Amino acid sequence: MVNEKEGLSTAESLRKTRTYGQVRCHNPSCMGRLEPKSGEPTVKCPMCHMEWRVAWVKEGFPRIRGPVWDVNKRLAEEEFGRKMKEVKKDGPK
Amino acid sequence: MALNRKIAYIDLSTGKIEIKPIPLEVRRKFLGGRGLDAYLLYNHTKQGCDPLGPDNTLMVSGGILTATLASATSRCHVMAKSPLGGMLGSANMGGFFTPELAWAGFHHLVIKGKADKPVYLWIHNGKIEIRDAKNIWGKTVTDTQWAIREELGDDDIKSLVIGPAGENLVRYANVMTGIKNSGGRTGMGAVMGSKNLKAIAARGTMDIKIAYPKEALEYNKRFIDQITSAKVNQTQGTLGTPFIWGATNSWGGVRTRNFQYNQMLYADEIEPESIDENAIKTIGPYHMTGCFGCQVHCRAQYKIPTGPYAGIYDEGPEYTSQGGMSSEPDIPGLENLLVCNHLVDQWGVDNLEIGSIISWAMELYELGILTDKETEGLDLRFGNAEAFQEMLERICFRKGWLGNVLAEGGIIASEKIGKNSFDYLIQVKGVSNLHSDERATPALALNIATASRGSDHLRSRPAIDLYHLPVDVMRRIYSSPVPYDGPLSSEHTEYIGKPWQVFWHENCYMGVDCLGICKYHTTFLGATLPNFEDWSRVLYYNTGLELTPREIWDVAERSNMMERLFNLREGLTRNDLKKGDMLNHRYFDEPARRGALDVVGKVIDRKKFEKMIDELYEYKGLDQNGVPKPETLKRLGVDKEPSHLL
Repeated sequence: MVNEKEGLSTAESLRKTRTYGQVRCHNPSCMGRLEPKSGEPTVKCPMCHMEWRVAWVKEGFPRIRGPVWDVNKRLAEEEFGRKMKEVKKDGPK
Repeated sequence: MALNRKIAYIDLSTGKIEIKPIPLEVRRKFLGGRGLDAYLLYNHTKQGCDPLGPDNTLMVSGGILTATLASATSRCHVMAKSPLGGMLGSANMGGFFTPELAWAGFHHLVIKGKADKPVYLWIHNGKIEIRDAKNIWGKTVTDTQWAIREELGDDDIKSLVIGPAGENLVRYANVMTGIKNSGGRTGMGAVMGSKNLKAIAARGTMDIKIAYPKEALEYNKRFIDQITSAKVNQTQGTLGTPFIWGATNSWGGVRTRNFQYNQMLYADEIEPESIDENAIKTIGPYHMTGCFGCQVHCRAQYKIPTGPYAGIYDEGPEYTSQGGMSSEPDIPGLENLLVCNHLVDQWGVDNLEIGSIISWAMELYELGILTDKETEGLDLRFGNAEAFQEMLERICFRKGWLGNVLAEGGIIASEKIGKNSFDYLIQVKGVSNLHSDERATPALALNIATASRGSDHLRSRPAIDLYHLPVDVMRRIYSSPVPYDGPLSSEHTEYIGKPWQVFWHENCYMGVDCLGICKYHTTFLGATLPNFEDWSRVLYYNTGLELTPREIWDVAERSNMMERLFNLREGLTRNDLKKGDMLNHRYFDEPARRGALDVVGKVIDRKKFEKMIDELYEYKGLDQNGVPKPETLKRLGVDKEPSHLL
């Protein structure tokens, strides 16, 4: 029994799929991999143009701290207006 | 060894205490912790009993791995019929209590009846005493624990206690241990209060024999490496759970102003890094701490920096406090968050539930459904920190009409408030939703609608669905230990494949709850964290119990079915808005207004949502009404329940 249990489990074997130094854009269907320059406080997604504030958990380990509020708030308001116009035009789906 | 820890039946009405071994047959079917508690609840609670009456039965337990050489096995589970929703009540917390209970000889307590005066239980090295609690009744959570230590003359005693909210039968009062370890959701603290049971104190020095100590230690090194190398746990160990709130708020998955918005704007002051900065400033750089046997250390220590509570020490705040105290009522200040977190810890009340209930009342006030007459002059508009803190106190101490009504929980309160107040209540099975907004994430919406203890993220949430994992990675995770070759989608705004993910996570989380391991050590927030295959090994090395990964899955599925059977017995019907697997209409009717571009405008598609429920029921072996098919009960070996094996 003990010997049978020595191989890597699925979860262990998935470790090599991890990426470091990158974050994913928080826009759900964008999710592009962004690689902020070391220590940079913001990063802009080249695909969807949303902008994010970056925090550094440690060197080489960025995470998105939050939106660049003024930019993403404006983009969201424009998008909401556009989508509501579409709903009005096409009726609820 | 771990397998010889006992079960004790304590009747508070008669004072009778009975101690029994737990048969191996029962261990193999339910392992321990939440799974075995679900079995005991179904077998020892009368259908339709008053949750705050003597017929309700309260279970307290550790998992089968508690206090062994396995990591992070501190979890304590508490179960009874819930006074909040009238259905399954279940709470889970970390800390140091259950290892002490195990060293004192016990894994499971079954508490019945009602004491005629306040009492507490004293459990030490195989013995249990019922003691007078007149000197500790009325005390706060931490004062109670210190008073017990003083009375019994041992500073190493660990206690499970209720605060004033539990004594006052607030229907969402917590069971607490330590400074902030909270057995929250579903009002288990009120059940303790209704039994006049103020605390359970434990101290033990009885060895636990490990089946294969060398292998268990060797394997635990691998386990620890797996835990600590995960990026998610490195972030947890730096920022604690607030990082989850921060990430979710940034894309628009946090409900704000009850359910009017899905993002708290300009929330910089309560972002995880801001909370961390205060902890560094008031405690120092090494301010993160953890539960028994855990390497993650997700719990921050802090002092309140400003205001009338300045200098007071506490722990947290967890992301649930950020949701309940900040984003839902739309109060952006750090001081309010830290103060409210301290008050709920001391009074022993569910931060999520009380924050949600007050935020709901705030929306009703702004709509004119509640007026100054009901609030007795309190300006209960969103953003008012003073009013929010005042309502916290009124609820916990049942002061005034509104405080008393809101202490009853959302469903009873909506009946007393009347008008169309229920339409604005964001709940499932009587339990308020976590502060999250699932309009853009169908898998998460399915999870909260069908969770056994009501709207909840810790029963079946496929949180890794948010990571856009490649489908081949998802396939490797979700096709083990049970083969699955159905559809899977990396898109978390999609409906495809999500029911299987919810089913898989439901069994995964039940698995850790039976073992007694923390969810941060499983495939909850990290794809590379341990699950069934890893548990099979750790269980064998520590206890000698040989279960394949598939057999552990079966234990989990069986235990989930026991919870389902209990809920059905108490009136669960599929589409019932108060007792069913259904969401508030706002999920389907009101589009999300904020957040990332592809979140804006999202609602849950009702037809697709109902199809997901059909599919989930099929995986679970239920019919279209959500009732188990006879062949499912037979397959899981629960077709003769209640079987009274224990």
